[in-house]
Amino acid sequence: MNEILRHPSAEAELPTGAPVNMSRRGFLLGSAGVAAGALVIGFGLPVGTARAQDAAAKVAPGTRVPAFLEIRPDNTARLMSPFVEGGQGVFTAMAQIVGEELDMDPQSFVVENAPTGPDYLVVFGKMRITGGSMSVRTSYDTMRHLGASARAMMIEAAATRLGVPAAELTTEPGQVVHAASSRKVSYGELAGDALNLPVPAADSVKLRDPSQFRWIGKPVKRLDMYDKSTGRAIYGIDTKVDGMLHAAVQHAPRLGMTVASIRNEDVVKAMKGVHSVHKLDGAVAVVAERWWNAKRAVEALQVQWNEAGAEAKGKGIRVMPADFSTAAFADRLAKEPGAGKDAEKEGDAAGVLASAKTVVSATYHSQYLHHAQLEPPSTLARFNDDGSLDLWMPNQAPEMFQADIAKMTGLDASKVNVHSPLLGGFFGRHFLYKSANPYPQAIQLAKETGKPIKLIWTREEEFLRDPMRPMAAVRFRGALDETGMPIAIEAISVCEGPTEGISGHNPDKMDPTALEGLTGKDYAIPNKRIAQLYVENPTMLAYWRSVGNSMNDFLYESFLDELADKGGQDPYELRLKLLKDNPRLSNLLKAAGEMSGGWKRGPYTAADGTRRARGVGMASPFGSYTAAIAEVSIKAGEIVVHEVWEAIDPGSIVNPAIIDAQIQSAVALGLSQVLLEEAVYEKGVPVARNYDLYPILPPSRMPRVHARIVESGEKMGGIGEPGLPAIPPAVANAVSTLTGQRIRSMPLSHYTFEA
Amino acid sequence: MQLQINNKTHEVDADGDTPLLWVIRDNLGMTGTKYGCGLAQCGACSVLVDGEIVRSCVTPLDSVIGRSVTTIEAIETDPVGKAVVAAWVNHQVPQCGYCQSGQVMAATALLKQTPNPTEDDIAAAMVNLCRCGTYNFIKTAVNEVAGRKEASL
Amino acid sequence: MKKFLLTLIAIIVIAGGGLFWFVTHKPGSPFDGETASAAPADLVHRGEMVARQADCVACHSTPDSKPFSGGLEMGTPLGSIFATNISPDKQTGIGNYTLADFDRAVRHGVTPDGKRLYPAMPYPSYVKMTDDDIRALYAFMMNGVQPQNVPNKPSGIEWPMNMRWPLALWNAVFVPSGTYAAKPQQDEQWNRGAYLVQAAGHCGACHTPRSVTMNEKALDEGGTDFLAGALLDGWYAPSLRQDHNTGLARWSEDDIFAFLKNGRNKHAVVFGSMAEAYNNSTQFMTDDDLKAISHYLKSLPGDPARDGQPWAYVAATSATGNAGKPGAQTYAAKCGFCHGTDGRGKNEWIPPLAGAASSLISHSESQVNVTLNGSARVVTADIPDAYRMPSFREQLSDRQIADVISYVRSSWGNHGGPVTPEDVKALREHTDPASSNPIVLQMR
Repeated sequence: MNEILRHPSAEAELPTGAPVNMSRRGFLLGSAGVAAGALVIGFGLPVGTARAQDAAAKVAPGTRVPAFLEIRPDNTARLMSPFVEGGQGVFTAMAQIVGEELDMDPQSFVVENAPTGPDYLVVFGKMRITGGSMSVRTSYDTMRHLGASARAMMIEAAATRLGVPAAELTTEPGQVVHAASSRKVSYGELAGDALNLPVPAADSVKLRDPSQFRWIGKPVKRLDMYDKSTGRAIYGIDTKVDGMLHAAVQHAPRLGMTVASIRNEDVVKAMKGVHSVHKLDGAVAVVAERWWNAKRAVEALQVQWNEAGAEAKGKGIRVMPADFSTAAFADRLAKEPGAGKDAEKEGDAAGVLASAKTVVSATYHSQYLHHAQLEPPSTLARFNDDGSLDLWMPNQAPEMFQADIAKMTGLDASKVNVHSPLLGGFFGRHFLYKSANPYPQAIQLAKETGKPIKLIWTREEEFLRDPMRPMAAVRFRGALDETGMPIAIEAISVCEGPTEGISGHNPDKMDPTALEGLTGKDYAIPNKRIAQLYVENPTMLAYWRSVGNSMNDFLYESFLDELADKGGQDPYELRLKLLKDNPRLSNLLKAAGEMSGGWKRGPYTAADGTRRARGVGMASPFGSYTAAIAEVSIKAGEIVVHEVWEAIDPGSIVNPAIIDAQIQSAVALGLSQVLLEEAVYEKGVPVARNYDLYPILPPSRMPRVHARIVESGEKMGGIGEPGLPAIPPAVANAVSTLTGQRIRSMPLSHYTFEA
Repeated sequence: MQLQINNKTHEVDADGDTPLLWVIRDNLGMTGTKYGCGLAQCGACSVLVDGEIVRSCVTPLDSVIGRSVTTIEAIETDPVGKAVVAAWVNHQVPQCGYCQSGQVMAATALLKQTPNPTEDDIAAAMVNLCRCGTYNFIKTAVNEVAGRKEASL
Repeated sequence: MKKFLLTLIAIIVIAGGGLFWFVTHKPGSPFDGETASAAPADLVHRGEMVARQADCVACHSTPDSKPFSGGLEMGTPLGSIFATNISPDKQTGIGNYTLADFDRAVRHGVTPDGKRLYPAMPYPSYVKMTDDDIRALYAFMMNGVQPQNVPNKPSGIEWPMNMRWPLALWNAVFVPSGTYAAKPQQDEQWNRGAYLVQAAGHCGACHTPRSVTMNEKALDEGGTDFLAGALLDGWYAPSLRQDHNTGLARWSEDDIFAFLKNGRNKHAVVFGSMAEAYNNSTQFMTDDDLKAISHYLKSLPGDPARDGQPWAYVAATSATGNAGKPGAQTYAAKCGFCHGTDGRGKNEWIPPLAGAASSLISHSESQVNVTLNGSARVVTADIPDAYRMPSFREQLSDRQIADVISYVRSSWGNHGGPVTPEDVKALREHTDPASSNPIVLQMR
């Protein structure tokens, strides 16, 4: 790590205790400006988005080296990442990929999230989101080419400098080498010369042979560890600018309601530090000198709310009914009449089910979930003298936020500068969701006060407005032949998919995110029908880590165990049989079995005297494949997960250490879901407004996790999400085996187990 | 009110019931200490008061007057804290990193009081939440500082 | 069983028949025959103070309803009853009540049509209110409150237990007659305090134990059971007498005053039902009235035999043997960050558990309840508290809660006695978590 971007510790900065002017020392240095003394290649890093926008029409995303890279005289590189860092390690992966081709040690990189601009639309060459576990796999080739182009420019500049043909030059990390004359020139020295060079055509640069990789595929250390271990890392909630005031909001108890009146505005205005009281759309706000004053004051406001009127429909939000309860809604989903619309169909499931001797039916449930990322949402908004607007806020898609803000404010998009700080966790929370982001409120408050405003939602306001992972009831039927092999499966999911929940339901189309994990299963069951019966939710919906797979693999894989039991088959052996013509998945499942010391289902008595059992689950999410085995016991009526073994085949890889960390992380979130989590609504409001009533996995419930990467060499798949979906069914199946009690819903904390 | 933080004395203008967290973050501008829940549920706001771990979101300002507060910004001035940070980097503990200031503070408090903690001591002391699930990495890093090579991953 | 019931009903009917006149007659009111006259503003204002003292809003409003339009559900073993609409709406409220009608309802529990109110309405206390206070309260209810057309909800109590007339007999036995009579041997402040505590304040409704017939065992300082502590609705309302452990002996008059005025002092913070009484009632009383209450309560002697060994702080160390107890680790992880590893809380913001009445009384319900469900926000002069008690029902099992409370009740010199998982289970099933929203019931 070098010192370029290190935010000086507040301690060193604060001899007087006065707030630091971070707008100059931090942000400009960090995200928009050109640092003093740095030599910048090409026309430099974006000094705002205007320049990039000018060229928008012509830009091929991910090609213009200068938009991404700055090489400094001290031979460090500053890389603009098209993807935001939220813990998944993408900044390090980007440095590895670009560094590999540029021939520069990733450890000499400083990576930050790029501003908005057409250069960064590298996902499928046309868009920019950090999600869907798509970052590395969709930009891998692009970023390699980018690094290789930069290397070619270095060589070109060195050729001129040294007066030798480019063909005689090679590179070693951070420098160009002329072997014949034993001369070396560092990239830092060459950066200035490279200024005027054109970026070479993509097909003219040569990529490194993968067998020669030094950093790709290696457990390169992450670049953000020190800053994140010492409090130096700056998240959205930490951002500051000169003259900024703080704001807090109180939302209407139910979405769609509007402010009728405030009973005690005068009392609140007289509270310490209060600057002003504001009525917003479906919320009230207090602006104060300190956030704590704003928070206490806004809680003190006694607001009379109007029920939602017809106008609510036009806002793209859902009006929360006063009597909504998740328990009643789950019941409705289970009983909703209808056979649904086909999403995946093979053979004649209906016919086989009608004539089969053995048919198993069961209804399964998944639950609403909160993202519960530890960093509460915030937005810092500042209107500038030139009419532009700066925003610092957690987001997974800067250009989408920018477009929405341009539309909302009437400003030209070029005047809307979206800064994307590190995310204190995201798990799908920071997409563009109506009513779930603080920026419209922060912008209005900045406008009304004429001051920069940093708005932070309390945890309680976050749990009130967090859009949720959808819930579903899935009606399964399965048919077995006389040998106990499944010959037909039908799954009718009564649900609304997150995508149709966010973007609108199209009756002529299926939302693939509703059913993924029920669809796309590779088991050789000859007759299958996977269908969706659409029921609109009264809640706002969202993507949650692993999206549809986060629940659907639990539903499918648990029911598959029911079929195995009914057919008198071992669930692991049954899966192997159903995958016998699929070497990639057979291999993967066997790897998981082998890791666990050989498949053993149990129940059995472990060395410590506890009764234990194991369960297995598989999933094929986001272009990768996973198989997991979990070992459980029961202690004082509570499920204990002792061990999790998970094998992942992501095709090919960039950083095995990060993959291992992501498996650990996905296991934790999958366990949290299956053991503990459910967002419950009663009378139109969430019961839990903080972690007290919405517990997430604590350290005491974390098992040992053993991850293995099976690199099949196939097309590169995702990493951030794929580790999750196989975990809930592996645990639930183990619990079913141990207790003899079928687990058909999550979380397990709602079940009673005998000690 | 006079508040002693990281061996410096600050004059603070805030009500006595203001949580220490917000005095640190807003009045003093030190943002390494994080707000996660405000309800002593997550531990992202952990700091040391006279060497003991406290959750600053539920620590009223007037309860720490005359006592010595240490935040993450000064953690490396303590030899144990420095060793903890080094172990955190060595074992690549953080993911999103938001909870890690609090985790480092909790580990430092533990290891200062109990240089050779047992597994149970670690489990009892390291109770802060991490939504990214870095718990096993945390355990390994704490074990390393404690001088034990525990294969907990 | 059926036969028994029929016999019982027959007896009731026969006995009832004989007492027909008694159980249907309307008691007299000093205001009988008085016709309505315009209420001056100062009388309405004084009536509003009386309404605060009597905490009418606590039952006759809910957070979701308009002021005094009724609706609070009160569970009884026989079924739910609902507080009625007492806004001056002529159709669904008390808009047609004369002052005498109003008086009969408030002080005697009898409606204009002769129906007996359930004593959930604390008329056994209100009967002691002065004529002046009743007149003022009526003026406020009729002129200061907006009429709300909200029909009353039917009671969930089924026949024959829904017959109201036997209550007349209950009243005859258990309800005192007459307004508060000043004790000449006591000073004016004492008498004012006694009046507020016994009459409008109806403190005994929660704090005085009840006999099997559900009447409060004592209605004034003449009985040693008066305000001696009682269990109601899953909360144990502690002794307000001079009991060292479970009462107010360690509190000064200023401490009591601060508790009622600010909701907190160095000994305790209001929680459970008292948080509601504080939010909606005591903080609105005048300083003089609160001082009078404090003065009066300090005059009620304690009972060392009932109260037990006087508590003194003992540091919790491994030497005292409680560091290794089950529950110690849960305490450290879930409780100690706020209440302190020393159990002493954080100034007056977060209450101590060491020496708290709830840690010393054998009834564990309040501690179990507040641990399961957290507590309502304490709202002082519109401003919610900085720190609230979370709910642990989703995080801790019955066993873990029992262990951690048992730890609290046996640490730092506390000796309230252990709690079992069954105690926790029973309350878990019948209670709900407290809202994290500040709830302030409006009267206008």
